Amino acid sequence: MKLTRTLVLTWATACALCTILWAQQFQFNLDHLAAKASDSVDVSLNSGMLQFAGKFLDGKDPDEAQVKKLISRLEGIYIKSFEFKEEGVWSQADLDRVRNQLKAPEWSRIVGTTSAEDKETLEVHVRNQNGKVTGVAILATGPKEFTVANIVGAVDLDSLADLGGHFGLPSMEKGTEPQKKKK
Amino acid sequence: MDWLEDELKQALGRKQPSPDFEARLIAAAGRRSVLRFPVLAMPRWLAAAAAVLVITGAGAGYRHHQGEAAKEQVMLAMRITGQKLNRIQMQMKGVRQ
Repeated sequence: MKLTRTLVLTWATACALCTILWAQQFQFNLDHLAAKASDSVDVSLNSGMLQFAGKFLDGKDPDEAQVKKLISRLEGIYIKSFEFKEEGVWSQADLDRVRNQLKAPEWSRIVGTTSAEDKETLEVHVRNQNGKVTGVAILATGPKEFTVANIVGAVDLDSLADLGGHFGLPSMEKGTEPQKKKK
Repeated sequence: MDWLEDELKQALGRKQPSPDFEARLIAAAGRRSVLRFPVLAMPRWLAAAAAVLVITGAGAGYRHHQGEAAKEQVMLAMRITGQKLNRIQMQMKGVRQ
């Protein structure tokens, strides 16, 4: 009886993990940073939650209308963002652990910038399946910051770029050259 | 002091109530309970309907709260994503210049 219960629990846990991993396109493995962060954001929205949230977005508000249109084609948004009071809390291994999952042929890096002055690294990776974009990964790190985002679904890159023009930010130019680096 | 004792005995002495006292008491108590708890006077179906309405309202309120929370999460996610993309744009502009 006890064995059956253990097996059922293990199976349920495995199913739950599979669902999470299936929804999210790569693992973040950043839980150890949460305890050290002064500020942290954890967004985890699957397809159902996005659709549900979409019903509460006001189509008359320009920002919300744009977001509503964008999320209608998405299957999930997963973000982990940490801010630290001191430098050196996160390690290169943390970044590499995420970056190593974003490999060809599924993933390709379309933008990568490194600022030696600000010690910032920003990368955008795109997941392609059968010639279609099925996900985007954004990695943004600074001395006191670590952010990873995975936007799952048929992401329209133009709309995603337009996001930069919302919330009071200037619009991101389209057709930017990939892989530019500043050292 | 005899007169005082007599008066007290008469005032505090046991007296038999009138024959209709019990009936009048029960009737009065019944009237009072109805007045104190008017809900009890409502038909049961009305109470059930009120309960259903309260539960439905609470459910709708909770659902609305959940929806607003999900919306806030989406807006936060978009704000973070937009900020990061904007920073990339700024850095690339810097490279061009």
